[in-house]
Amino acid sequence: MKELPTTPTDAALIARIKKGDERAFTLLVRRYEQTVWGFAYKLCRDKEKAEESFQDTFVNVYRKLGQFDGRSKFSTWLYTIVANNCLMKRRRRKLEDLLESYDEAPDTDDPSVHDQLASWDDTPAERLLQGELKETLDEAIRKLPDDYRIVFVLRDLEQRTAEETAAITGLSVPAVKSRLRRSRIFLREQLHGFMKA
Amino acid sequence: MKHTHIHTHLLSCSEIYTHLCENLDAKIDSEECRRIKAHIAECENCTALLDSLKKTVYLYRKYPTPKVPAAARTDLFAVIRLEQKKGKKRPSR
Ligand SMILES: [Zn+2]
Repeated sequence: MKELPTTPTDAALIARIKKGDERAFTLLVRRYEQTVWGFAYKLCRDKEKAEESFQDTFVNVYRKLGQFDGRSKFSTWLYTIVANNCLMKRRRRKLEDLLESYDEAPDTDDPSVHDQLASWDDTPAERLLQGELKETLDEAIRKLPDDYRIVFVLRDLEQRTAEETAAITGLSVPAVKSRLRRSRIFLREQLHGFMKA
Repeated sequence: MKHTHIHTHLLSCSEIYTHLCENLDAKIDSEECRRIKAHIAECENCTALLDSLKKTVYLYRKYPTPKVPAAARTDLFAVIRLEQKKGKKRPSR
């Protein structure tokens, strides 16, 4: 296979694909497969679902590439497709009320709240990542409603900006911020049982 | 909690709370941000809460993401080849 001396940009690859260059599509897949796979996996927390989403995403990209106008970054568009694919398969859960209650600060004068916070201090993260904690991490994040989970993954794990996350999810920037805040508090609460042995 | 500065407007823990959960590593250098940092520096509870939130995110970041399974890639390219054939038979709109 003859390679071009310089790595083609996304735009150049996309232009080639639109002209029917099938090899260019392979290159585009290879460039983004880990991004798509990683994101799908972090959202679904399930290998089979991630595989399904991985395949659906690239098939969708292939079919819809004509609609990509190049005004947004290709990666933003790609994230949007993965998100839609992965999340449409899941039914919404009614955790919203609970999550909204996290806008109130905890009562730190309450001694149990105080002890709870102190216990986080004594537990080294590396030790936690072995064994059952991974299951707890998976379970906790799966409990989040779709639009919360996706915001948490995009902002805190994929480290996308609030603006890009808003573009991907169709939420407003303030909505992204409040969902991120509540997700973090929710997850923190879910992990709490693991702190302090 | 002891607050020693008299003339800065003192923020309460609950006023801090929203910001705490939003900007875990805020590098913004605004007046408000300085006040928040000053509160956290003096407040054990807010420091602990902030640390636990940071640790939560840290644990998720440390969680290893598997590599694309070779089989998933093979399957994908098989499906794509099928799509490409279909596309050649009836040109897309
Ligand atoms: Zn405080």
